[in-house]
Amino acid sequence: MGTPHSRSPRPKGRRVLLATVSASAARGSPGRPVRSHMQSSTKRMGVMTDVHRRFLQLLMTHGVLEEWDVKRLQRHCYKVHDRHATVDKLEDFINNINSVLESLYIEIKRGVTEDDGRPIYALVNLATTSVSKMATDFAENELDLFRKALELIIDSETGFASSTNILNLVDQLKGKKMRKKEAEQVLQKFVQNKWLIEKEGEFTLHGRAILEMEQYIRETYPDAVKICNICHSLLIQGQSCETCGIRMHLPCVAKYFQSNAEPRCPHCNDYWPHEIPEVFDPEKERESGISKSNKKSLRSRQH
Amino acid sequence: MLQTPESRGLPVPQAEGEKDGGHDGETRAPTASQERPKEELGAGREEGAVEPALTRKGARALAAKALARRRAYRRLNRTVAELVQFLLVKDKKKSPITRSEMVKYVIGDLKALFPDIIARAAEHLRYVFGFELKQFDRKHHTYILINKLKPLEEEEEEDLGGDGPRLGLLMMILGLIYMRGNSAREAQVWEMLRRLGMQPSKYHFLFGYPKRLIMEDFVQQRYLSYRRVPHTSPPEYEFSWGPRSNLEISKMKVLGFVAKLHKKEPQHWPVQYREALADEADRARAKARAEASMRARASARAGIHLW
Repeated sequence: MGTPHSRSPRPKGRRVLLATVSASAARGSPGRPVRSHMQSSTKRMGVMTDVHRRFLQLLMTHGVLEEWDVKRLQRHCYKVHDRHATVDKLEDFINNINSVLESLYIEIKRGVTEDDGRPIYALVNLATTSVSKMATDFAENELDLFRKALELIIDSETGFASSTNILNLVDQLKGKKMRKKEAEQVLQKFVQNKWLIEKEGEFTLHGRAILEMEQYIRETYPDAVKICNICHSLLIQGQSCETCGIRMHLPCVAKYFQSNAEPRCPHCNDYWPHEIPEVFDPEKERESGISKSNKKSLRSRQH
Repeated sequence: MLQTPESRGLPVPQAEGEKDGGHDGETRAPTASQERPKEELGAGREEGAVEPALTRKGARALAAKALARRRAYRRLNRTVAELVQFLLVKDKKKSPITRSEMVKYVIGDLKALFPDIIARAAEHLRYVFGFELKQFDRKHHTYILINKLKPLEEEEEEDLGGDGPRLGLLMMILGLIYMRGNSAREAQVWEMLRRLGMQPSKYHFLFGYPKRLIMEDFVQQRYLSYRRVPHTSPPEYEFSWGPRSNLEISKMKVLGFVAKLHKKEPQHWPVQYREALADEADRARAKARAEASMRARASARAGIHLW
């Protein structure tokens, strides 16, 4: 009979988890024992405990998190809710949660930042509803501003749209009339909510937006969309071959040309003219992360 | 909750399909994405009920009905999932959600099934995310999500991040309000913030625009109530604890926070301390009552399948 927890061979641990659920049920809401019984007779589904719930809540609060942060979060959730349990491997932990989330048409998705290949995680919609997650957060004219920025970003050569070009479209927005000053603040709101990234007055999509909206973007702009030649996913920023025009993500370039002295285009075999970035190394990242934040604080002090 | 599927025109899903583990070919099992062509569906396999198909036509009609039922069932599930997402996103903004919003943006023409849909959504929110969907205002049908996970200790709170600084600021304001006898004039609140180095309309690196944070965010999220003081001219306004603050935090906790700030014991303020004790007693009583009624309801429900 289908036991719900079949992905990793840890039956003992799982039974302990089930016990925890019923125990907390007895303490908290007496209705709970009925639920866990119901859940255990459901095929293929994982088991949720407070560890998983806290993790989900916090992931939702942050919107998107980098892998090292996710691991830290996972450890803290165990510490708070199940101090003596062994911490699941992150992949298994997330797969367990995803099997429960499946019936809600959402999942925790792993992606990689386009600029330097850092792994990120976000809770995304499995169904292709458009900018749905944003729809309840933003007004109609704000959503339209995002759509306009999105179109400019997709059409651009570099994957960046300048603030000026976006703001010039303010008159074409649906809904309530928006002034340029207000539009600037709305763009900042998008940056704060991790839908856009700003670099020197230009905007591109945040990794979270790509994770969340890739399907929507590919379906809505099938002609304008760029695809990476290596991983075949949506490409916003990347390098391109000057001869045949194929494109690759920077982290895909890094991996493909790793330790290759003479990088050549995988499609037309011409010499690859761009600088090959380094493959992302989480260990190195943490050390340099400290110096990076020092640099940031120095810059702000100069203002 | 879902006892009479016939009256609603929708199946009672998991109850049958999943008890059997879905292995014995019950066509109503939730793995209903397999749409078998009508011709293959023989009689008695339909619904597990004892209805021998008399004619080909009868079998086809039954099959069509089954298909329609499965579609409706899937649609219901989809709507429940969308409602869960809608509630989560709305709650992130911390603004209460009204029934009419839910109907307008999610439920649509399944409006008649609202009680069923919201009950299922509530169960998902509880089991998967640890939130309780609470009807906040019975008259206006507004709801909020309450976190049912155990409240975090301070160190745990810092480790896990989140809205740290903003909630700290809220605590300061709640503390001020409490120590002033449960309401504080707007001028007093801004005076305190000015002492902390904040100007209402000047951008602050941690809080953004303090005025917007307090007046819009905290008030809208029902952490603070903002009222005009009667008989004042020019009109003056005062803040008091909002309903969400009353639900999510206790007077004792806030008194403890204030006491720590001043490096004193809560008992240092006897009036507020007594009030906080009475508040604790009230909460304990309310909790006991709620648990008793839940237990009564649960045992009444025990014989009936939920879904």
